[in-house]
Formats: sequence, structure tokens, C-alpha cells
Amino acid sequence: MLSEVLQGTESGGFVIIRDTACYSGRRLLKYYMNCALKRGEAVHVLGFEVPEHELCAGLDSNYLHLFHFHSAYTDPLGWTKQSLFTVKHFSAKEITLLLQETQHANDSVLVIDSLSWVVRHHDTVTVCQELQKLRKAGGSVRMIFGLLHMDLHQQGIVGTVSHVASTVISVTPMNNARYAMAKTSQRKKSGKVMQKEEFFSLPEDLTLSIETKPNQSGNVQTDLYTKSEVDPTSNLTFNLHLSEVEREAREKVALPFVFSEEKKSALLRPGRGSGRIMYEPDANDDIDDEDPDDDLDV
Amino acid sequence: MFVELNSILNTSPDDVTQREFILLSDRKADASFLIHHYLSFYLKAGCKVCFVGLVQSLSHYSAVAQRLGVNLVQAREKGQLVFVEALKASAAVMLDQTGGDVAQMSDYLRSPVPELRALFEFVRASLSQAEAEADSNSPPVLIVDDLSVLLSLGVSVRAVLDFTHYCQATICSQLQGSVVTLVRCDDDDDDDEDESSSHLLRALSHQCTLSLRVEGLRTGYCRDIHDQVEIWWRGTGENVQSQRKIFQYKVYDKSVSFFAPGTSSAVL
Repeated sequence: MLSEVLQGTESGGFVIIRDTACYSGRRLLKYYMNCALKRGEAVHVLGFEVPEHELCAGLDSNYLHLFHFHSAYTDPLGWTKQSLFTVKHFSAKEITLLLQETQHANDSVLVIDSLSWVVRHHDTVTVCQELQKLRKAGGSVRMIFGLLHMDLHQQGIVGTVSHVASTVISVTPMNNARYAMAKTSQRKKSGKVMQKEEFFSLPEDLTLSIETKPNQSGNVQTDLYTKSEVDPTSNLTFNLHLSEVEREAREKVALPFVFSEEKKSALLRPGRGSGRIMYEPDANDDIDDEDPDDDLDV
Repeated sequence: MFVELNSILNTSPDDVTQREFILLSDRKADASFLIHHYLSFYLKAGCKVCFVGLVQSLSHYSAVAQRLGVNLVQAREKGQLVFVEALKASAAVMLDQTGGDVAQMSDYLRSPVPELRALFEFVRASLSQAEAEADSNSPPVLIVDDLSVLLSLGVSVRAVLDFTHYCQATICSQLQGSVVTLVRCDDDDDDDEDESSSHLLRALSHQCTLSLRVEGLRTGYCRDIHDQVEIWWRGTGENVQSQRKIFQYKVYDKSVSFFAPGTSSAVL
């Protein structure tokens, strides 16, 4: 599923990669950038956290003419008046203008490295609104990728920003140094939500290898809604199901108190020497003067 | 300068790693011996050092450096060391004693929205000057002891992070130098999650290339092992694998001995 994130053709996709200090999600971000470049799409990076050469390293050098780095790294706040793009310019309008300066005919992908920087300097609501505007603007920006450091913000802020995204990938380190775990949840336009956990390794040369999580290899692709309905008959100590043979056998069994013709005739046939009870009630017999509840203290 | 630490970190004064952002931190322990280590290390390497001392006065640092074989006063007269007496300056600002360049720089404490822009500009000016004076083989270095004091003085975590970002962008990327900072963590400041020193530490962990985390022993005080330090090489640069190692150590008068957990001479 990690490798399918970029393949969607519909525009307006917004992917958030969430990481912590223990495992950086930047390499996964670079992997997606590399994929987009190889597809011939222009990649625009709003870089706050790392310099251009560090982000460029490892990318396919044949496609670097499609790579555009809008540097806010050396001067993100305009203190030294070196860069044209600062964090104050983070708005849908400014970014669209920025992309149009170097517009190519084909689609472009916008990468924000990182959203944590933006959230730190803007109101969360404003950030969400601007991101939403960028998505809806359509046309030039096909997809937006953003890196978010989960451990730097309150849970509510992380949740709010994640709600805007169509795909959220959370990366966490494993005990094994080579592999890391990615928890992907993707929301389709139809409203369907897909979730998947995968182990992946991503070496320097940005080749992604994925291994599905072993303990759930059978039903990896679970829908959110069916997942919540647990089958109650799955873990019983007795057998609830009937095989075809068993069903036939059951149908053959005659139920008690259901009188078949055979049974009826057997019971009702007057046997030889059978007696007959004659009873004539005596008038005095059934009269009982005594109150049966006399001994009760009512 | 502690030779044993140099060999663990695979570095020496003749071969200084450039563009490092080193984060020192401590929790229930004291990591100031690492500050003294780096101060003497970079001075011996011939780097131009800007030292922002918010915790102690110059005489304290020079007394310790003397023991480690470095003369701070001399280095300062030579112009190799720029010592910012932020401890005294902060007090002067608080007590409203105006005057002097340093007080000007500590203006951050007074402005309506505290930001460390003036301090950054001072640091940049003093280190870029060194770059201009040739001898470009030795990279400039900024050492801050320590950042959590700024939080106590009312500067927000955001402002501190802006400051460190600018320092990293300017010193590490442009001037090929290094930055060393110390953050002290207290356990009991978790009530204000957003403005605590642990929040600052987490944010800086994202930024740093090398982290040395000093922690007290879980089993309590021990005469022969002082504390433990976790060394974490972060795989941010090219070709550097993320790697963590834990050492226990004992600080002596002029040196520190490091050993793997459980292998101190008192145990074996």
C-alpha cells in the first residue's frame, strides 16, 4: 500500500507522513519525491528544515531539472533578508504564485518539509484552511506531501491537521534497525477507509522494499467497517455448522410428540384383554369442608 | 578535553567533523562536563569559538578549562574566543541597568514578544568576522550553556527553536561550522506541556546530528559509576547510519573514563 500512494490519478490528494525523533520520515518523503520525478512530474519543495543539497542527495539525477526547491531554510523568518519565501508567505495564494513562476505543462507535486515548522508559526485553523484551499485549487497541484513531527505538537493539533489529509502514514522504528513500520490509513473519495500496517526498509538509494506484517498476512486489507463486526461464531468450543451429510441425517430423525400414522396406530390399537375404567362420582366424595389455607397466617 | 570521549566519537582536534549540530542533554544528572569538554576541544582544534554562558561566569569556565589545559583568558585576548557573559547581562537587564553591548543583545528579555534575533545577529557577526580573517581551515563553533535557562527567563520554546534553527542554518550550512547546545530536563515540568524543556529537547532531537544524553542511574547513587550517557548518531546526513550506544562513566579530576554498562572496575 505504501507504494500505491502516489499512483492515484485523481487530483487533490494530500499525504501526511507523521514521524517522531526516533525515526525520521524524511527518507520516505524523498522516496515519493523520487517516484514523482520519475513519472515526469515537477516537484516543488517548500523547504524549512533541511538545506537543498541534503534533500537532493539520492534523488535521480536525470530528472533534477524537474526539481524546484523554494528555500526557506536559511532565512525562514526574514531576519537576514536572504530568501524570497518565508514562513509568513504560507498561504494558498502565495504558493500558487510561487509554483506558477516555474510552471511546467504537466502536473506538479507540492512537498512541505515540514508542516511542523508551519504549524509552529501559524494558527492551526489557518494552516488547515490554506491547505484545503490548495487542494481545491486543482489544476497545477496534483498532490501535496507534508511531513509532520508528531511528538512536537499536542495531540489535538496533530489530529486536526491529519483530518485534512486523504492519506496518513505514521512511521515508527522497529527493534530491527533495517526495518521500520508504516501504518497507512487512506480515505478514498467514496468514503471508504483502508488501513494497513507494513514493514519497510528504505536504504540510501531509495529503493523501497515492503514486507507485510506476518501475523495478519491473511486479511491484510481490512475495511474499517467490517473490521469492527467481529464474527461471534469463530471461537466456539462446539460445532455450530452442519455438513450436508449431517443435515440429511437430521432430517431423518422423527421428532417426539409428532404422531406419525404408524405411531398413532400402534398406540391406539385396542389390545386384547384390555380393561375399562368405570367411574361414577359420588355426590359426597369431593366435598371438603376444611379450608386448605387454614394454617396459613394470612 | 577527554581523550576517551574523542575515541568513542571517532574524532580528534586535528580532525574536526564539520557541520555538526551536537545536542547535549541531562536528566537527573549533570552534563556540564561535556560542555567543558567541547569548549576545550574546539579551542585546541584552533576553531573560532563563540560561547554563550548563561549558567556560570567566565572565571568559573576558565578555572575548569585551566585544568583541562586551555587558557580561556589568553584565547579571548587572541580573539579566538568570544565569550558572551549572558549570565551577568541577563541580570543587568532585569535590574534595568542599561548600557553596554551585551545588554543591548539581551534585549530579548524586554521586548514585548521575546525573540532571540539580537543574540543571533551578535553570534553571526562575531563568527562571520572570523571567516573573513582567513584561516578558513578551522570552522567556527557556537556553544550555548544552556538553552533551558532562556525558558526560565521567559523566552518561549518557539523563540528558542527559531534561534537554534538560524544558528544551524548559518553556522553549520553556510560557514561549515558546528553548534553545541545543552538542554537540561526536569521531570516535574510536564504540567505545561508546550513550554517545557522536554518539549524543547524533543524538537532539538529532530534537528541535531549527534545527541549525547546524560541520565542518572536508575538504581540510584553509586560511588564508582557517576551516571550513564546515551550517544546517538542520527542518520540525518549522507551515509550516516542511525546508531545508539549507552556508556556508563566516572568523572575524575582531569579526565573521564567510559565503560560499557556493568563493566566498571567496582563490579568486575
